[in-house]
Amino acid sequence: MMDKLKLAVFELTDCGGCALNILFLYEKLFDLLEFYEITEFHMATSLSEGNHYDVALVTGTVSTQRDLNLLKEARNHSEYLIALGTCATHGSVQGSVELPIREKLKAVYGDGGNPMRALDSKPVVEYVAVDFALPGCPYDKEEVYQVLMDIDKGIEPVRKDYPVCIECKLNEYECVLVKKGLPCLGPITYGGCKAVCVRSGLGCIGCRGPLPGEVNPAGEYEILKDLGYDDEYIVRKFKTFARWEP
Amino acid sequence: MIIEMREFTRVEGNGKAEIVIEDGEVKDVRLQIVEGPRFFELLTLGRHYYDVPDLEARICAICYLSHSVASVIGIERAFGVEVPGEITLLRELGLIGELLESHALHLYLLVAPDVFGYPDAIRMATKHGELVKEGLALKAFGNRIRVMVGGREIHGINVKPGGFGRYPTVEELERVEKESEALLRLARRAVRLFAQLDPYGAQARHFVATDGYLWGERLVSDEEGAFHYTERIEERSLVYSFAKQSRYKGEAFFVGALPRLLLKSEMLTPTAKRLFEEHREKLSSGYVSYNNLAQAIELVYALERANEIAKTLLDRGIEGENVPVEPREGEGIGYVEAPRGVLIHHYRIDGSGKVAYSNIITPTALNHAMMEASLLEEARKLYGEADERAMIGRLEETVRAFDPCISCSVHLVKF
Ligand code: SF4
Ligand code: SF4
Repeated sequence: MMDKLKLAVFELTDCGGCALNILFLYEKLFDLLEFYEITEFHMATSLSEGNHYDVALVTGTVSTQRDLNLLKEARNHSEYLIALGTCATHGSVQGSVELPIREKLKAVYGDGGNPMRALDSKPVVEYVAVDFALPGCPYDKEEVYQVLMDIDKGIEPVRKDYPVCIECKLNEYECVLVKKGLPCLGPITYGGCKAVCVRSGLGCIGCRGPLPGEVNPAGEYEILKDLGYDDEYIVRKFKTFARWEP
Repeated sequence: MIIEMREFTRVEGNGKAEIVIEDGEVKDVRLQIVEGPRFFELLTLGRHYYDVPDLEARICAICYLSHSVASVIGIERAFGVEVPGEITLLRELGLIGELLESHALHLYLLVAPDVFGYPDAIRMATKHGELVKEGLALKAFGNRIRVMVGGREIHGINVKPGGFGRYPTVEELERVEKESEALLRLARRAVRLFAQLDPYGAQARHFVATDGYLWGERLVSDEEGAFHYTERIEERSLVYSFAKQSRYKGEAFFVGALPRLLLKSEMLTPTAKRLFEEHREKLSSGYVSYNNLAQAIELVYALERANEIAKTLLDRGIEGENVPVEPREGEGIGYVEAPRGVLIHHYRIDGSGKVAYSNIITPTALNHAMMEASLLEEARKLYGEADERAMIGRLEETVRAFDPCISCSVHLVKF
């Protein structure tokens, strides 16, 4: 019998969603456990056994010195490191607040400040090389399952590099941007979520981060302007999940 | 001397504690929230109101719907918007889904391993597979409701000021009606299991909850008179924690399932009320550890209430109409019972619909002082008696009883 791969989940500063989403795999989690052994996952287990991991999933942003130390630890002790979720890949919501850290801390904790060391929230990919980046706030859980299965089989997983719009077409959802005039970021956002928000008749808010490459943010900007949204609104909307370039 | 507890496991987010020993006695306990700050109020300042609930949802994955609903209610109150019964019932159903999902996660996957002596539910499953499966079944049902009302299992954007993006179908509601009935048996079993636990932690002296069961116009406490949080609750920064600490009239207090039962038992559904009466004596002792039992009773409440709501909506039919929302200058507070207790979203919005002030207080921040008090009490009891590892294990259980959600607690701002 093949040895199981050692799997670790490390959580930096975030909402907990990307770690929680793993538990939401339900039966599939037990399928995964045929191939993986969880040796570090503090939301789910009190055991902490390893100092070597075949696969490490890192969620969250680096927002404190503790986060940074933990990230380096994870990188140094793992073969294959996945930045999991938009916090880790793009900074997500806490990464998008554009003020110097001192001012932010002052606004939160008052003049006395807070002596604990906080860093400006940045994604994991800003600090270490990652072997795979899976965005989503949170990511689609089927996708992480597929990625982990691929790795177990020795296949390099494929990053989805098409916009959410493609998924609307595949699912035959009516375009909310054209038909309803809603501010939908689908054309410039990484697909892979099955366009779940458009299923509710709502515009994509861009939670999987901006798609680089051929897409056309300028075009999207023009469309939103024509729909009557002002500059500030559009810019903030664009930057909600990624202040940092991917 | 300081005994350092390593970071808590089987809780959401990152926190730890230090136990200060002087002259052979426990002098103090410091609960340190080491999760970095998340700046949510800054994020929402200047934002158009329509986008705010979706952002606030990201405060916490376990209770994202509580955040979106509290946010939506705060915004609607600021604009003087009233929504009809159908929308209110659907929001309540969403909160119930969240309660089921969150309590099942906490009780079966995070606490039960302590009861049976395992490090986690996965390893517990080899001997107690049935129980783990039952927990997962309840959790999955709660999540199906969250998908139906909220749009996704985590961070859905379907809950909007004035209504929803999409309304549930008759088939979906029929499924809720059926499944809630079928699962009731499991929840009752959970009550029996958690009723056997011995008490630990401190005995809370003050309890706070919203004036309705899952949300309200104001807060209530064990003293008389409903009140706004600004009247009796104060927050302060600590030098050793990224979370602030709240006090009720200067004292530690408790929010969560146990306070809800103790303050609002007359609002419970029939079976839940019966179970509450059966265990009333224990629960009234106020030991924080009975929060686990209270959560189990709330599983029963949630299933019965989900069933009632589904029936009501099926009887009257769903119209699926949103209420128009016109921004105007105003101020509003949304009070919701997140699974782990009172959640407050307070906004001032300007005439163009942009957020000008926002304050959010989460249950874990409200419970922070009570958690410290409980750790102190338990440490005093155990120090010198038990060996250090056993003591630390029990202290971790004490923290766990609060079902703390640390990620939520770290983003306060005041201007
Ligand atoms: S990416 Fe979104 S869901 Fe994942 S941890 Fe960050 S805020 Fe939470
Ligand atoms: S549609 Fe957009 S906002 Fe919704 S899940 Fe997909 S990427 Fe995220």
